[in-house]
Amino acid sequence: MRGQRGILIALVVLAIAAWCPAALAGEKVAEVKIGAVYSLSGGAANQGNQTKAGAIIAADEVNAKGGIPALGGAKVKLIFGDTQSKPDVGASETERILQRENVDLFIGAYQSAVTIVATEVAERYKVPWLVTGSVADKITERGYKYVFRPNNKAIYDAREQLEAIATLTKETGKGPKSVGILVEGTDWGKSHAANLREQAKRLNYEIVFDEAYSPGTVDFSAQILKIKSRKPEALVIAMYTPDHIVFTKQTYEGRLDIPYGIHSVGAGSEDPNFYKAVPVEAINYMFVQEDFQIDMVELNDWAKPVDKKFAEMLGYGLTSYGAQGYSAIYTIYDVLQRAGSVDKEKVRDALAKTNITSGPATGIMGWQKIAFDKDGQNVDAHGCISQNFKGKRTTIWPVANRPKNIKPVWPIPAWKDR
Amino acid sequence: MDPIILGIAAVNGIVLGGLYGAIAVGLSLIFGVMRVINFAHGSFLMIGLFIPFWLWQLFRVNPYVSMLVAAPALFGLGYLIQATLIAPLYRRERAMVLEPLSVLMLTAGVGLIIDNVTFMVFGPDFRGITMEFASKALWIGDILNINYTRLIAFLASIALTVALSLFLARTDLGRAIRSTAQNRDAASLCGINVMRIYNVTFGLGCAVLGVVGCLMIPFYLVSPSIGLAFGIRSFITVVLGGIGSIPGCILGGLILGVVESVAAQFVTATSASIFSFVIFILVLFFRPTGLMGMKV
Repeated sequence: MRGQRGILIALVVLAIAAWCPAALAGEKVAEVKIGAVYSLSGGAANQGNQTKAGAIIAADEVNAKGGIPALGGAKVKLIFGDTQSKPDVGASETERILQRENVDLFIGAYQSAVTIVATEVAERYKVPWLVTGSVADKITERGYKYVFRPNNKAIYDAREQLEAIATLTKETGKGPKSVGILVEGTDWGKSHAANLREQAKRLNYEIVFDEAYSPGTVDFSAQILKIKSRKPEALVIAMYTPDHIVFTKQTYEGRLDIPYGIHSVGAGSEDPNFYKAVPVEAINYMFVQEDFQIDMVELNDWAKPVDKKFAEMLGYGLTSYGAQGYSAIYTIYDVLQRAGSVDKEKVRDALAKTNITSGPATGIMGWQKIAFDKDGQNVDAHGCISQNFKGKRTTIWPVANRPKNIKPVWPIPAWKDR
Repeated sequence: MDPIILGIAAVNGIVLGGLYGAIAVGLSLIFGVMRVINFAHGSFLMIGLFIPFWLWQLFRVNPYVSMLVAAPALFGLGYLIQATLIAPLYRRERAMVLEPLSVLMLTAGVGLIIDNVTFMVFGPDFRGITMEFASKALWIGDILNINYTRLIAFLASIALTVALSLFLARTDLGRAIRSTAQNRDAASLCGINVMRIYNVTFGLGCAVLGVVGCLMIPFYLVSPSIGLAFGIRSFITVVLGGIGSIPGCILGGLILGVVESVAAQFVTATSASIFSFVIFILVLFFRPTGLMGMKV
């Protein structure tokens, strides 16, 4: 009995001893621990690993330049958790990283469903979370105090696609009166379609074709036929890679003419595999809405080493997910510089006051500004819309991001004239 | 609704339906002879798609030529799986009547292994090939166009089914397969090596997918998870047409294809598949053996 009590006391003492240095060390921190919760395996492994690579590149850059000056040169240490692309695993990994590693803040988690539950855990422990990649509106609409999202909400994507059409119409005096909507029939596609309807109403576009299809379709001839008979002047689509490949091949062989183009919201059309699987002529003049500026690397010399390192790690050039990981680390760098502390409340307050208008955090994405509203949403977030010219995607919207000598092709030539 | 549009939709449906039928033929054959539902069917189709993909990617072999590789390869794989994995179950069960559940689990397990091994080797990427020829279409008037590779797939599917029916009707091996399907004990008494027939049947059922994969890859794509959707659709096709009936498969496929294509002109494509299921249930109700199935 006595012996047992002795062990208990020893344990308590040990626990206090282990806890004390961390608590008493104050502002002189050796390293900043960032929990990075991503889908490193499972269905979304591709995107998770891309974000991971981007974050590692940025962290290495920061550390090589001497860490974070305001924290006495503290190094950035990334602690990765694998969500296996599952919400429940994401939540338990978040909890594990918190308990075991006592991280200072989190980034993650690409998939909206995972981010929704994982941020719940972080919010409960009052640990700040910088979202990357997740677009579900709900994430920043729950009144959470520790969740911040620099990237687009889902509704922004739809708004941008139709505003780009309106912008091009204004520039040229020519444009569509009617639009068609074709989306994949699960959560993402359907909510995108709902947002598009709302935006079309606001901007006065008549919707003459509005459909969802079941994912994994072998044949789009029925839909293409219907589009041909309804004649929308512009077509907005939301598709994942496999359907996008089949659809694009069939619009090409069926010579589907849409005078003001096919506007794809990035998913299938952001995937490098998509571009390997379809003929170049089939995607000529197609518009793609992406989370970052696709020709960023080409236009900016400073981004070239990032692209090179990314390619060394994954075998292909920088992607929007990689760019988001990179941007997140530099956003945190800025936040910690202003907070001058890893105290979670101070970090949270610094995050809330973020106002980044230049540097790698905004630069790599093609954003003009990162600043959060009271819900933690960056209202200045935007994607970029590119037009494809013979296999090369060139940014044409927002106008501020459009390269100087580029003129969008609008309306696009009919198949018989190409 | 414009009748021309509906006519075109029907033509599109027929072209697609022939392919659905051909995909299901192997499943029907295996079920008809062995009374085994092959849950790995979609996975074999996935392999049948990967073979021509890689042959094209690495050596630029025309997918139609790749059939000469894919069909024997899948025959061998099917033969091997039946001989080494499923056959021991038959030996264990009495009177050669299998507990359906155990084979079902076994084939489902085989499917999972195939899917996951391909996933480990090739990753989750979706891959397709781009042939110049594949993006050409046969134009009739201004609005009806049928992609050549789809048209070839349709015609070849019909030819394949006819050939398989003739093989079963006319050759010794075909007769042996049919007699085994009708009564295995009697077949066994007549000197037919039933286990060998089973191996050959399973191999044949898979070989068909090797051919179909080569027909599909020019206009479709492949990934380790691609088989899933086809497995379920094939099952419906088989039951609709009549289990074990080869022409029934094509009929079932055509009905599914036309109904979905035409219905999609009236409602959204996701709702259009409801009609296929309604027909499926009606057939089960009024003709449980399927449209061309024999009374057991």
